[in-house]
Amino acid sequence: MSKDFSVHVEHITRVEGHGNIVLDVKNGKIEKLQWNVVEAPRFFEAMLRGQQYNELRPITSRICGICSIGHSLASLKATEDAFDIKITKQTAILRRLAIHAENMQSHILHIGYLVAPDLFGVGSVFPLVGKHTDTVMKIVKLHRLANEMSDLICGRTIHPIRLIVGGFSLVPTERQLLHLKNRLAEAQDLTKELAVVIQSVADKLPTFTRETEYIGLTSDSEYALYDGVIASTDTGKHPAYRDYKEVINEYIVPQSTAKYAKHARESYMVGALARFNLNSTQLHPVAQEVAHMFRLKPLTYNPFMNTIAQLVEFSHSIEDSLLLINSLLDQGIKQEKPVKPVVKAGRGVGIVEVPRGILVHDYTLNSKGYCTKANCIIPTNQNHANIQLDMEKLVPEILTKSQKEIELTLEMLVRAYDPCISCSTHYLDVIFV
Amino acid sequence: MKQIVKTITKKDFSSFVNSLINDRTYDVVGVVAKGKRYVFDTLSSAEELQLDYDVTILPPKKYYLPQTETLLKFSLEKPFEGKEIMNDTPRIIIGVHPYDIIALEQTDRHYLDQQQDNFYKKRRESTIIIGVDIKNVSERSFVASMKTNVTDSGFDLLLTDIGTNYAVTIGSEKGNKLLEKYAIVEDASSSDLKKIITVRNAVAKKYRQKVNIDKKNWSSLLVANYNHAIWEEHSDVCMECGSCTMVCPTCFCYDVKDNVSLNLKEGNRVRTWDGCLLKDFTKVGSGEVFREEVKERYRHRFFRKGNYLPERYGFVACVGCGRCGSACLPDIADPCNLINELGHFNSEEDTGKYFIKEETEVLEKGIIHVPRSATIKKIIPFNEIDTLFEIELDDKKPLGHKPGQFVEVSIFGYGEAPFGISTPPGDSPVFEIMVRQVGNVTKKLCLLQPGDKVGIRGPLGNGFDVKTFEGKTMLFTSGGTGMVPMRSLINHILDPKQRDKFKEVIILYGAKRPKEITFMDDVDRWKKVSNVQCELTVDRCEPSECWGGCTGLITALFPKIKADKIDSKNTIAVVIGPPVMYKYVIKCLQTLGVPDNNIYVSLERRMKCGVGKCGHCQMNGVYVCKEGPVFNYGKLKQLPEAFE
Amino acid sequence: MKQKPRVAVFDFADCEGCELQIANLEEEILDLISFVDIVSFREVMKEHSDSYDIAIVEGSIMRPMDEERLRGIRSHAKILIALGACATMGGVNKIRNQWMPEEVKKDVYGDANLKGNELFDVFQTKAINEVVPVDYYIFGCPIDRDEFKSVITAIALGKKPDIPRYPVCVECKKNENICQFELGAFCLGPITRAGCKAICPTHNSPCEGCRGLIKKQDTECVKEVLERYKLSYEDIRRRCTMYNYGRKECSYDE
Repeated sequence: MSKDFSVHVEHITRVEGHGNIVLDVKNGKIEKLQWNVVEAPRFFEAMLRGQQYNELRPITSRICGICSIGHSLASLKATEDAFDIKITKQTAILRRLAIHAENMQSHILHIGYLVAPDLFGVGSVFPLVGKHTDTVMKIVKLHRLANEMSDLICGRTIHPIRLIVGGFSLVPTERQLLHLKNRLAEAQDLTKELAVVIQSVADKLPTFTRETEYIGLTSDSEYALYDGVIASTDTGKHPAYRDYKEVINEYIVPQSTAKYAKHARESYMVGALARFNLNSTQLHPVAQEVAHMFRLKPLTYNPFMNTIAQLVEFSHSIEDSLLLINSLLDQGIKQEKPVKPVVKAGRGVGIVEVPRGILVHDYTLNSKGYCTKANCIIPTNQNHANIQLDMEKLVPEILTKSQKEIELTLEMLVRAYDPCISCSTHYLDVIFV
Repeated sequence: MKQIVKTITKKDFSSFVNSLINDRTYDVVGVVAKGKRYVFDTLSSAEELQLDYDVTILPPKKYYLPQTETLLKFSLEKPFEGKEIMNDTPRIIIGVHPYDIIALEQTDRHYLDQQQDNFYKKRRESTIIIGVDIKNVSERSFVASMKTNVTDSGFDLLLTDIGTNYAVTIGSEKGNKLLEKYAIVEDASSSDLKKIITVRNAVAKKYRQKVNIDKKNWSSLLVANYNHAIWEEHSDVCMECGSCTMVCPTCFCYDVKDNVSLNLKEGNRVRTWDGCLLKDFTKVGSGEVFREEVKERYRHRFFRKGNYLPERYGFVACVGCGRCGSACLPDIADPCNLINELGHFNSEEDTGKYFIKEETEVLEKGIIHVPRSATIKKIIPFNEIDTLFEIELDDKKPLGHKPGQFVEVSIFGYGEAPFGISTPPGDSPVFEIMVRQVGNVTKKLCLLQPGDKVGIRGPLGNGFDVKTFEGKTMLFTSGGTGMVPMRSLINHILDPKQRDKFKEVIILYGAKRPKEITFMDDVDRWKKVSNVQCELTVDRCEPSECWGGCTGLITALFPKIKADKIDSKNTIAVVIGPPVMYKYVIKCLQTLGVPDNNIYVSLERRMKCGVGKCGHCQMNGVYVCKEGPVFNYGKLKQLPEAFE
Repeated sequence: MKQKPRVAVFDFADCEGCELQIANLEEEILDLISFVDIVSFREVMKEHSDSYDIAIVEGSIMRPMDEERLRGIRSHAKILIALGACATMGGVNKIRNQWMPEEVKKDVYGDANLKGNELFDVFQTKAINEVVPVDYYIFGCPIDRDEFKSVITAIALGKKPDIPRYPVCVECKKNENICQFELGAFCLGPITRAGCKAICPTHNSPCEGCRGLIKKQDTECVKEVLERYKLSYEDIRRRCTMYNYGRKECSYDE
C-alpha cells in the first residue's frame, strides 16, 4: 500500500455529537493524528447563571438527550447537597431504578444500533433488519423496555419530568411496578440470547490493549452507579467528593471544543469498562455469567471491550432493578411529597455514574437559591485524552493494513467509548496547562 | 311516580361494590381521590370509593363522549373500506351527583334527538348509573339555586347517606335487578324516607354561591344585554384556554380528524373534544374565522347556555356545578357570577325567538359515520382553482337531494369537507359538485382521477322548498362559488317539465375575474330560454383577459333588471355568495320592493358533522348544517352573527 | 413504482434528544423506511448522501460555520423540517442570548486565547428559520413521537400537518389533571402551544413553554392571573427565558 495517505473522518457517524478523526501519513510515518471535537459549544454553565435552584435540573437535562436522566440526577444531588436535603429511602430506590433504566436504554442503543453494524459489517442497523431480523427484534424489544421503564419512573425517557429537588413529582403505582417486574424478568432471558449472538461476532472486536488508569465510583454496598466514592485503579479511593478536582484535572486543547482530563497518568478512562475493572465482584450472578461468556476479567486493558462491559452491566441493571422493585413492593409504594428544601447559600456537588462514566455537577447557590457558579464535568471529556493516546498506540500497530481498514478500526475505537459529544462541550473553571 | 326506596348498610354496600368488581361483567367506575380533588376512575376495590366527595375534575360525560374516540377505521390501500368500530364494555358508574345526572339527560336531548348518535346511544344503553346525593358542597357550586341539587330521574339507583345506612332509591328496572342479584337490602321505613329529605335540605343550606336570577329568566336577560360592555370587559382578560368548555358537563362540541398510521396503510377517523372558546373553532377551509374576537366567543358560550339551548330544548344548559369557575384562571367563566352581575342591570326587553327548525321524527338508523362509497366519473377543470366533479354513488341509488342541500365528501386519511350539489334533483345516482382548492380534502380531491373512490354522506341540511315558489317570478343572485347550489335550483326550475309553474326568471351572476366564471355552458343555455334574463359581471378584468361584458360588483346588475318584468310582491329572490355580498344585495332587493320573507339565502359556515351535533357551524343558536344552509331572510334577519 | 422520497437528518447545537425520539419509535421505524429512504442520519448510520428531498434539521445555529452548513442543506432539500425546540425557536440555547457572546465566552473559557479559532467563533443563538426558510415545524423539547408521526404522514400524504394552535390547558383538562396553579406552582400551560398531550402537568410538573408561547407574556390576561395568584412578573419573565428568550411575537402561525 501507499506510504502516503490521509484518513479524514469528518463528523464520525453512529456516535452522539460531532467529532473528527485526522490522520496524515507520509513515507509510512505518522505526521498528524488527532481526535477533534468540533461540536458547537453551548455554554451551559453560563445558562445556569442566575437561574433558580429548581430550574437547574430541567436546564441541565438538556445538555444531552441520551444521558438526560443522569444529568438530572447529578443536578439534583448537587442542589440537595447545597441545601443539606436528605431524601427518603423510597426516593433513593426510585432514583436507582431511574439510573438503571437509563443505563439499559443507553447501553442497548450503543450495543445494538451503533456497534452491532460494525460487527456484522454493515453501515447501519437498517440493513440488518432483513438479514438478522431476529436479533434486531431482540434489540428493539430490550430498547423499548428500557424506554418504557424510564417513562414509568421518570415520566419521559428523554428529559425526565418526575425527577425534582427533594424527590419525585409523581411515583409509579404498585400495579405499574408489578407489571414492570414481569417485563424485566422476561427481558433477562432475551439479554442472554442477545449475548450469545454478540459472542458469535465478538471476534470482530480488535485485540488491542494499552495500559491506562480507570476511574469510577465505588461503594461498599453495591455496584456503584447512583452513589459512591471516586476510585482509581492506580491510586485507590478518594472519599472527599467535593474535592473531585484532585482526581479530575481538566484542560483544554485547541482542536477541540470539549475539555480533556487527566489524573495519575497522561490520560484515564471512565465508563462501563472502568466500572467493571473497579467493581466487577459486586455484579449480580447473571451479569457475572455474561462476563464469563466473553472471558471479561479485571483488569481488561482493551478499550474495545467497553461494549462487552456494557452488555454485562445491562444484565446487572435488570437484576438489580428486580431486587429494587421487590424492596419497594415490600415496603409499599407511597405518593410521598418531595422533601421541602430550606433555601440557603452554599456549594453542592453531585456525582453519579452515568452510562459513559463519572458525571459531576457542582453548583454554588446564593441565599435566595439562585445559581451563581456552576461546573459540570462530563464523562466523555474525561475519555478524550485516552482516545487520543489509544489512537497513537493503535495506528502504528495497524499501519500495514488497508486505508479502509485503518479508517474503520479508528472509527470503531471512537465508537467503543460511546462518546457523548453534545455533553462534553460545556465547561467552566478552565484549568490551563 | 312513586319510587321504591330500599336501605343498605354501608358495609353491605361495600360488598355489593366488590362483588360488582369481581363479577367482571362490568367496568366498574367510581369517584376516587386524586390529590385533594376527585375523579371518576376504574375501581379496583370498594375502599377507593369517595362518596362524600364535593365535585370531580371532569364530569362523567367522558364515559359517553370520550375525550378521543375512534368513529371508524379505514384502509388506504383498498379502494374504499371503512368500518365503524366501538368497544362496548358495559359499565357501572358509581357516585354520580344529581347535577351531573341532569347534565347527561340534557346531552341526551342533543345526541338522541332526530339524528341519533349511535356511539352515544349504545353507551347510554349499556351503562348503569348509581347516583349519590350531595353530601359535601364544593366551593364554586351553585346547584341549589339552579334546582339541580336533587333529581328523581336519570339514574338506575340513587344513594343517600342517612347515617349508618344508605337509602337506595330505585330508578329503573336495571337498577332493581342489579340490587336483587348482588346486594342485601331492606325496605326503607318511613323514618328513613324522612331522613332523605332532612339530609337533602340540610345540604341545600350549605351553598355559598347562589344565582340571583331564576334560570327561566336567563334567556331574556342575556338577549337584552347582547351588546353590553360586560362581554368586552371580561374577555379582555380571557386566556382563550378553553378550560371552561373542557370541564363542562353540558358542553358537547367535537372535532373530527383522520389519523394515519406510520406505514400509510390504514388509519382512524377520530373525534375529540373541541371548545367554542378556541379561535380555530369556526375556521373554514378558506381560512375565514366566523367568531374572530374573543369577546364574541366568550359571549357565545354564555348565550349557548342561557339562550340558544333554552330556545331549542327548553332548558338552561348549565347545571351549576361550578367546574368552569374553578378552572378559569382569571375567573371570568362562572355563569353564576356573570348572571348575577348582569342581573343588576335589570332589563325588561323582549327575548325574540330565533329561527330554529321544528323537530320532526327521530331517524331510526341514527347518524351513520361511515360514508357511502362513490366513484368519480368525470373531472372538468373550470380554471386553476375550480374543478367540476361528476360523482356516482356505487349503490346506484339516486342521491335524493333538494336544491340547496349539500354533501360531505370524504377521503380517508384526509378528512371530510362539505360541498354544495350543483345538479338538480332527479333519479340518477350521478351528481356534480364543484371543488375549489382551499384545504386538505379539496387539494387531495383535485389530485384524484376518474375511477377513484370517495365517500359521500348526505344529502344534508335544509334545501329550497321549490313547491312554495310556484307561480312566482324568480330572481337569482349569485356571486363566486354561490353559483354551485344556485345552478341546481335554476336547472330544476328551468327544466321543461317545471318551467310552466314559474313566471319570469332573472339570473344575476358575478365573479371576481372572467376566468372565475363557472358553468358557462349553462349560462349560455339559460340565455336562450324564453322569459329568462341572464346578466353577468366581473369585479375586474386584466388587460390580457377577454371580456366583453359588464365590469363591476354584483349590485351593478340590478339596474339592468327590466322593471316591467318584476312584480316585487310576487317575486322570490334567492341570494347565494360570499359572506360580504349579502348585505349589499339584500339592500338592492329591498329597494326593488321584494319583501324580506320572499328572500332566501344560503350561508357558509364550518359544517363539519353535517347533522347539527359538532357545533362548529353555529350562528348564535342556529345550526347552519341542519337548519340551513338555506334560510328565509325574513326569519333570519334579526339573528346576530348571520350577516355581520 | 414511484420512487420513495429521500430523507436526511442533520443536527446542530443541541442534545440530539429529538433524533433519539425518532430512534425511540422502535419497530415503527420500519414502517417509516417502508415509504421513505433515509439517506443520511449520522447518529445511527454511516452512509451519507447529499441527494435528498426532505431534510430534517435539529439544533440551533451558533457559528458562521454552522450557518454555511445549514445553507448547503437548504439548497439540497425540497422540504426542510425544523425538529424540536432548538431548531424551531432556539430553545435553551437562547438563554445565553441575555448576554453578549464575548461575555459568555469569557465566562466559560476564561482568558484563553481563542481568536481565529472558528470552532469558538460564536454569535447570538439563532433558530433555523432565522437563517433559512423552514417548511414545517415539529415543536417540543423533546418532540412528541406521535406528533412526529402525524407530521411525517401528513407530509407524505400531501396534507397540512395538524399542529394545535390552542394552549396546553386543553390537553391538560382532557387528562383530568389538577391545575398546577391550584397546587401553588407557576405553569406556562395557558399560553403555550399544545400538542405535547400536556405531558409535564400530567406528571405533576408545571409547563416550561417548550413548544413556544402562543400569547405574549405581557398581555392583560397574564397580568391578571399573575396578580390573582400573587406571582411576580419576574417569575414569568424568568420562566419564559428557558425556551422563549427574545421571542417578541407569539408563534401563532408557524
